[in-house]
Amino acid sequence: MFKSLRAAVAGVGLLALSAVPALSQGTLRIGMTAADIPQTTGQPDQGFEGFRFAGYTIYDALVNWDLSSADKLADIKPGLATEWKPVEGNPKKWTFKLRQGVKFQDGTAFNADAVIWNLEKLLNDKSPQFDPKQLAQARGRIPTLIGYRKIDDYTVELETRVANALFPYDMSYIFYSSPANWEKQGKDWAKVGLNPVGTGPFKVDRVVPRERLELSRFDGYWDKARVPKLDKVILFPMPEAATRTASLLSGQIDWIEVPAPDALPRLKAGGMVIVTNKYPHNWAYQPSMAEGSPFNDIRVRKAANLAIDRAGVKKLVGDMAIESKGHVYPGHPWFGSPSFDIKYDPEAAKKLLKEAGYGPNNKPKIKIAISTSGSGQMLPLPMNEYVQENLNAVGFDCSFEVMEWNALVTFSFQPVTGDASKKAGTNALNISRAFVDPYSGFMRLMHSEFVPPKGGNWGLMKDPKLDALIDKAHASFDKAEQTKALADVHTYIVDQAYWIWIVHDLNPRAMSPKVKGFVQAQSWFQDLTTISMQ
Amino acid sequence: MAIQSPSLEIPAGSVKATPASATRGYWQQVRRRLARDPITLICSTVLLLIIASSLAAPLLGLADPYKTSMIRRLQPVLSPHYFLGTDELGRDMLSRLIYAGRLSLFMGVTPVVCALFIGGLLGITAGFVGGGVNMLIMRIMDVFYAFPSVLLAISLSGAMGAGAENTLLALTLVFIPPICRVSESVTTQVRGFDFVDAAKASGAATLTIVRVHVLGNVLGPILVYATSLISVAIILAAGLSFLGLGVKPPEPEWGLMLNTLRQAIYVNPLLAALPGVMIFLTSICFNLMSDGLRAAMDVKA
Amino acid sequence: MLLYALRRLIYLVPVAFGVSLLVFALVHLAPGDAISAIVPPDAPQEVVDKIRQYYGFDKPLPVQYFRWLVVTLSGDFGTSIGTGRPVAEEVGSAFGNTIILAIGACILAFTLAIILGTAAAYARSRIVDRLVTFVALIGVSVPNFWLAIVLVIVFSVEFGLLPPMGLGPDNATGWHLDGAHIAHMVLPTIALSMIPLGVLTRTVRSTIKEILNMEFVTALQAKGMNDRQILFHVLKNAAPTCLAVMGLQAGNLIGGSILIETVFAWPGTGFLLNSAIFRRDLPILQGTTLVLAFFFMMLNLTVDIIQTMVDPRIKRG
Repeated sequence: MFKSLRAAVAGVGLLALSAVPALSQGTLRIGMTAADIPQTTGQPDQGFEGFRFAGYTIYDALVNWDLSSADKLADIKPGLATEWKPVEGNPKKWTFKLRQGVKFQDGTAFNADAVIWNLEKLLNDKSPQFDPKQLAQARGRIPTLIGYRKIDDYTVELETRVANALFPYDMSYIFYSSPANWEKQGKDWAKVGLNPVGTGPFKVDRVVPRERLELSRFDGYWDKARVPKLDKVILFPMPEAATRTASLLSGQIDWIEVPAPDALPRLKAGGMVIVTNKYPHNWAYQPSMAEGSPFNDIRVRKAANLAIDRAGVKKLVGDMAIESKGHVYPGHPWFGSPSFDIKYDPEAAKKLLKEAGYGPNNKPKIKIAISTSGSGQMLPLPMNEYVQENLNAVGFDCSFEVMEWNALVTFSFQPVTGDASKKAGTNALNISRAFVDPYSGFMRLMHSEFVPPKGGNWGLMKDPKLDALIDKAHASFDKAEQTKALADVHTYIVDQAYWIWIVHDLNPRAMSPKVKGFVQAQSWFQDLTTISMQ
Repeated sequence: MAIQSPSLEIPAGSVKATPASATRGYWQQVRRRLARDPITLICSTVLLLIIASSLAAPLLGLADPYKTSMIRRLQPVLSPHYFLGTDELGRDMLSRLIYAGRLSLFMGVTPVVCALFIGGLLGITAGFVGGGVNMLIMRIMDVFYAFPSVLLAISLSGAMGAGAENTLLALTLVFIPPICRVSESVTTQVRGFDFVDAAKASGAATLTIVRVHVLGNVLGPILVYATSLISVAIILAAGLSFLGLGVKPPEPEWGLMLNTLRQAIYVNPLLAALPGVMIFLTSICFNLMSDGLRAAMDVKA
Repeated sequence: MLLYALRRLIYLVPVAFGVSLLVFALVHLAPGDAISAIVPPDAPQEVVDKIRQYYGFDKPLPVQYFRWLVVTLSGDFGTSIGTGRPVAEEVGSAFGNTIILAIGACILAFTLAIILGTAAAYARSRIVDRLVTFVALIGVSVPNFWLAIVLVIVFSVEFGLLPPMGLGPDNATGWHLDGAHIAHMVLPTIALSMIPLGVLTRTVRSTIKEILNMEFVTALQAKGMNDRQILFHVLKNAAPTCLAVMGLQAGNLIGGSILIETVFAWPGTGFLLNSAIFRRDLPILQGTTLVLAFFFMMLNLTVDIIQTMVDPRIKRG
């Protein structure tokens, strides 16, 4: 409807274009979904979006992610450490060999002292550099790390509480900020936040709270292959999807995270490129296994899984999703070979409910805690409303407890038997989960020892067989054996229909055709160093 | 001192009580004037239609406002089976817009009615009793006046958390002070009139004086004022829903519908505009009706 | 005059006291106990302790309040839960941006309202009067956040004429008076000015109309004054009433820009407030509300005094 009008003002439009100041060719402007710029002191907040833009850009971890390929699942690779292995005879200790010749962006050297200093900032509350705010973000990532020791200038030894074959994955979430810079900023982390210094490929030019984070190329980056092609990256917090869409279309920014599905046709018509890829994301219902919950009956869990029209959900999000067949998507190395086929079969679902003793006058009551928005939650309201329709159609009595995103996260920090859940009467939870590594994928969510606040087993799942399977994976120090063990875990949980799995997000982002050289890895994190602007 | 309202003011000294106006003849005159005012009549009719249809929604044979359908989502206006199209979940827009009237009007009218009751009572008490009581009540009102109204509503519901009840509470608190102030100033004026003194002298009970003379005079101007507040309340409530602080889905409510259809504005602008049109229509009708009532009751504005 | 101003200022003290009480209460309005409302669930004990100490949650309520008041009066508004930066700093930087936007909207709304309102009052034809009245009504009846979205889609996305978000171009810090920054202001200013435009137009129209019906205008005409001289007199008489409404509207703009700032990602107090609510950052919510309310009070006082100066006939008790 705007076409004719658009033609009429084409002349004026040209005039306006010339009014927009010309930016240097190598500046990439990104609209984030966060409401503020992430914490820049080292450990970012704002979930994995913070890690993506203020973590792996400014900093490195001992273990980095290989984000160079769009075709295979991203895995870890050497970062600030060149190699790591458990101490012979003592699987609770790991030695990490540090990369030599790495410099922080302020020119000071990165070495074992810097590693110890940074671990102390998190784990030693008596150290002067202890930062509770960074710890708050890091704590859940390193559940087993209890000790650290410098062996020599380029070797450190880390100690875990239990033998943990997957410990290197944990270390991919811990970043190293410059101790010298902290001294220079008056030993004040709030000041460091405005002038942070890391070892990463981008250095921080300017931090304007709530407005933008300006990064520029760090020419002295240790990995010459990953010295950024771009001159600058500017990140804007834009929590409103409509604002992001409008800003991209009007050329004010070049890249937006999570465009609204219904805006995709318009974005495409405006010449924007929509980039998608699968990544370890899971949009599901985590059921309660507490006493009295209908989900204790496997037939009810299976019925719920068969009741959902995933193709409809997929259509709702503009096809930017994969229909779930389990906790991980088919083709993932951990998928295994479950026999329970998760699909849309309302008749089978009705039959299962009947077998379980439910009927029109005796419907299984389920109440799901959902959010109005949030990182990775996709379109929580319409998606949940649609699934509710599906569930009720086969004979469930499904209702929601709607809360704001942070409130929902808080809610999940108490198990289902806690006051919050009891008061709300909920027996399922809808929080999107990442299965980036085996700990966050399975152990944290399903192992009976990881009940909140320790982990994310909100529904009090307790299955000794599953616990044993998970423990086995974490004790397997051989990679192939580990993968096999994880596939066994997955096969088992799907066959038990332990969760109600719905879709995996395809992580859409929209960008201007000027953005060249971006490879969307199968990960929550992305590499900005390969990008150039045309 | 100017009488303030959230975003509509009655300018200085605007609401004046008319002595001895509470007679049958006066109200007949008002009715006659209203009958000759086409705009007010049209607005009242439109409002009545909106209210009646939303109340009678289940009897109108409309589609289920909660029934979703992914295949039929975002159907355009005037499509074969959906007169006003369908929303992002394929629910019938006509049905949802009509059902939404229930909650939206409720969110607009309830706080004003509650505030009318509480604020009116406080104001009349302050005006009639005077002295220290007046001082106390009006100073408390001044505290609420020290906040811009939108800020007050948002801070309160922001602190209390999302939900329809909290929105109602926050809006009521926002509207009590202006209503209290209007009724206080009118009551104080009425109290000064001779006939009240005369009534007092003749030994009439205080309650009777309040009921006959004060209420009779005060009610008109305050009602006029309250009608215009309803439009403010509807817009404020929609704004809170828009920020995610108001009504929770899947309930149909205009502000929330505006919010959820916002993304569809690129695909189907007309459809996405409909809840906005309903808010606008209702709000402007209340405003025009308030103007008409004011003119008919000869309350200067 | 000075005495009057002083008296008004003293009178503000108890009101300010009440305001602080209400702002203090915001934390206790939150569902659940206050500490869990403020502290993020995964916060380490140190942070919890620090906040508990700052607010004095273990003490009785009146003690908590006075502690808070004393600290706040010394300029320490606490620390943002979300960012760890001092609240005073956060609110300070955002406040300036909100003021800029409010000034823009005031200039636009007041100029247009005076022209339209006067024209309507003077218009011989009922059509012009009706039209202006109707336009003014649209101003107060249209949800301005919705209008903001429509403006963005039409002028930024479809026609590419104006930037849809932000304070200014990427390479600038802070706000400067130049073309690029003005361009960023246009759409939010228009959206924000709708309500004051509507309210003030109605006020100007009715006030002038009332004055035109007064006897002194006829007397001036009889004296042989020309129209322009009479208009001057009329405007002078209408000024106090209009000024009062303008002052209030200016205040409402500053407190009411949250929706508009959210749509345009304008980094002012409204945007700050929105993200504070979203993150349940109650110290920011408190700080922003307090600063805005205080500003609003001062603005009202100023308007009141100016009004008295313009129109000494107003007697105030």
